[in-house]
Amino acid sequence: MARDKIYLEEIFPSPFMQLWQVFRKTPVAMLGGSCFVFLIVLAIFGPILAPYSPIEGQLDMLLLPPAWNNDGNVSYLLGTDELGRDMLSRLMYGTSLTFGLSFIVVIISLIIGVVIGSLSALTTGLKSSFLNHFLDVVLSIPSLLLAIIIVAILGPGIANTVWAVVLVLIPQFIHITRYAVKEESRKDYVLASKLDGASPFRILYYSIFPNITDRIMGQATLAQSAAILDIATLGFLGLGAQIPLPEWGATLANGLDLFYIAPWTVYLPGLAILFAVVATNLVGEGIRHALKVRKDR
Amino acid sequence: MNLLDIRNLSIELISDDKNIRAVDKVSLSMKEGEVRGLVGESGSGKSLLAQALVGVLNDKWHVHADRFHWRGIDLLRLSIEERKAVLSRDIAMIFQEPMACLDPTTSIGEQLIEAIDSSQLSGFFWQKHQQRQLAAIRLLHKVGIKDHKTCLKSYPHQLTEAFCQRVMIAMALARRPILLIADEPTAAMEITNEGQIFRLLASLNQLKNMAILLISHDIENITSWTNTITVMYSGQFVEAGTTSQIFSNPLHPYTRALVDSSPSANLHLPAKSRLKALPGSIPILQHLPIGCRLGPRCPRAHRACVVAPSVTNFHGHEVSCHFPLTSLKKPRSKAIKEVC
Amino acid sequence: MSELLEIKDLCKSYKHKNYWFNKKITTVLSPISFSVEAHQTLAIIGDTGSGKSTLAKILVGAEQASGGCIYLNGQALQNTSTSFKQRCQHIRMIFQDSGTTLNPSLTILQLLDEPLKLNTSFNEKKRIELIRTTLQKVGLLGDHMNFYPHMLSGGQKQRISLARAIILEPKVIILDEALASLDPSLRSQMINLLLDLQQQMGLAYILISHNLGIIRHFSDNIIVLSEGEIVESGVTREVMSKPKHKVTQKLLRNQGFQLNTKKA
Repeated sequence: MARDKIYLEEIFPSPFMQLWQVFRKTPVAMLGGSCFVFLIVLAIFGPILAPYSPIEGQLDMLLLPPAWNNDGNVSYLLGTDELGRDMLSRLMYGTSLTFGLSFIVVIISLIIGVVIGSLSALTTGLKSSFLNHFLDVVLSIPSLLLAIIIVAILGPGIANTVWAVVLVLIPQFIHITRYAVKEESRKDYVLASKLDGASPFRILYYSIFPNITDRIMGQATLAQSAAILDIATLGFLGLGAQIPLPEWGATLANGLDLFYIAPWTVYLPGLAILFAVVATNLVGEGIRHALKVRKDR
Repeated sequence: MNLLDIRNLSIELISDDKNIRAVDKVSLSMKEGEVRGLVGESGSGKSLLAQALVGVLNDKWHVHADRFHWRGIDLLRLSIEERKAVLSRDIAMIFQEPMACLDPTTSIGEQLIEAIDSSQLSGFFWQKHQQRQLAAIRLLHKVGIKDHKTCLKSYPHQLTEAFCQRVMIAMALARRPILLIADEPTAAMEITNEGQIFRLLASLNQLKNMAILLISHDIENITSWTNTITVMYSGQFVEAGTTSQIFSNPLHPYTRALVDSSPSANLHLPAKSRLKALPGSIPILQHLPIGCRLGPRCPRAHRACVVAPSVTNFHGHEVSCHFPLTSLKKPRSKAIKEVC
Repeated sequence: MSELLEIKDLCKSYKHKNYWFNKKITTVLSPISFSVEAHQTLAIIGDTGSGKSTLAKILVGAEQASGGCIYLNGQALQNTSTSFKQRCQHIRMIFQDSGTTLNPSLTILQLLDEPLKLNTSFNEKKRIELIRTTLQKVGLLGDHMNFYPHMLSGGQKQRISLARAIILEPKVIILDEALASLDPSLRSQMINLLLDLQQQMGLAYILISHNLGIIRHFSDNIIVLSEGEIVESGVTREVMSKPKHKVTQKLLRNQGFQLNTKKA
């Protein structure tokens, strides 16, 4: 009889490994991915690594330009704002606020949305329609306006911003989960699982979820870039992070009055927001492109 | 004069580590008005060959041949655009899943009118629309659809697969081709409707003297409709000859196995006895055997089979094997038995 | 030989819920009865819409019958969920399209492990041993259990479906157009394998197919369904050489060119 192990040199790529291999070969996606990872590390370790405190300022170092300018000081790498606070430290703390909170927001709304979406897909009839559509009223109002209304009801503060943005992002996850689960449950292997005697939750967990995770991840990155912009905008309008929290939008609003004398207080937070959004979008594009390539194979 | 004359066509996939020869030196020739069957299982490269003929292959495949003549014109000397112009004028192709080949958002009538060649219409430009309509109705009648009014207004998803395949044939006939390539036309439809499509193709062949290249993976259902058959295995040319020659006297072990696996050959076997089958399975593209690709599975394999065999001709019956069946050549050395 | 599977007066009808007062009822299967014995193969043929797939789904438990009873070895199988576990051990099914019957994110090991985990209480080592022997029984290597489905060819995927069906040692296997999508040489290999397994394990097959050549070779008895009713039944050879009912004659005639009128 044949030997047991013949394929010694072959590796067995699972579908996730295949996605990762395609992702790795796309340079733009890898660039976005590495920036994304850098931002996550900064969000977690920023408060430890920041050289100065973001809240207390040095009163004799007001409005210093960034270090590459002639008047700048190299120990304040990106300059200071009008209260003498170091811009670099403020931006690093702000990463954990804007970027980190957007990450948490997406995870919370993903979990709630996926749970409701799966329940909606498993039931039929009126219950299913109700679960699918009861948050659609949220979709009909522009996300920013809704966030402003919620903050106006609950009062300003960064915690309330988080709840507002979570509410805004849930409906899309419900829809996409429901559609994906319904599509997968039409496939034969789900029927085979059912015929083996599996309970519906076991079918959902083992047979359906591994196959829809990729689509949900693609949607999650889209949601995250929207969340970053929403949190930053609310901070800019003064409704989100309150003084003196160094959130990027709030920092940008602070520097707006002094734009002509100290433009770096405006463009540095703006660039940070741009960087975060572009990195997220590149990762999302990379995932969606890898999904398409894997399907074509 | 031969309509189509291809000698030693190869299709390669060139990647960083190695070249994969999906189609390895295949020769094909067709005469006018001939119905040729191209038989091969999945992985034999027959669809690749057909697509290379028409010129719709992806850029990642590299095609080269020793000779590629179409009606006497040497196509290898022409530029790509000229070759495409010549071929698209005279060759048409229909595919496996007709419903997927039709646009689901427009009605059949609009798609059919789009396929009509405007050079065949005469008259002033305000008469052209009416003429296009008449031409579309005429095409539908030619493929046997009498109720053209409902057909023109319906959408592809409202019709059956067999109906859609007739519409595809009508669209293929719009340019009056000389050769029609049918790539597994009946694979997606019920067996009861297969006969209708084959009868239609046979009538088109007789009435218009249109040559047909019928590609299939099942040798059984095309034997009644073809004059000649070419058999391919895993990208290599195996055997070619008239239908009766192939069926009554297959020279290659693979063709013999194919003929033996068809139900009509097993009529004499007692019920529920074992069928004769070759062991093993078709090699995948990453692990192609060297030389004759049937080597690992062939019951008559010998050391000589690591070199690809050349084509020998027995009165028009061509075979590519070192040790064809019912020949005087007997293998000398001991057989190498490969445990699969 | 004793009767393994007996179907009595099985029927299925759907109620349309579109109308509130005017409930339309469509009968897909009028009461039908037949039986299958061990080591035997029963073929079911019929046009589309004759109820073949519905019958297969009811037998395997994917849908519930509106009436009638199924007896396995003399014991009646209930429609409740507790006996569903019992049913799924004894009656298994192989689907047509091997591409979508295997979950693409699971290895073959996990795929075959699932029915074992749900229906037996073997420990892990015994499960892996059982999976390895089953894979060898269907002609694959034990090594294949670490593969993902996308790495296997069509014929191999169909063998994995067969392995999944026989791993619980059932008594009846339903082949719902399982051989239609295979190439002819793979089809012959699969038929040989099915015949061997029938000899070894004493299985009964219920074969639903359009290909009359396979049916002629492989089945002992045949049932012809038309619009939910059995119009003809009997031993395969007799029915195919002397069909009595109109529907059977039409079916045989449509494919007659395959069997009889071959160009010599």
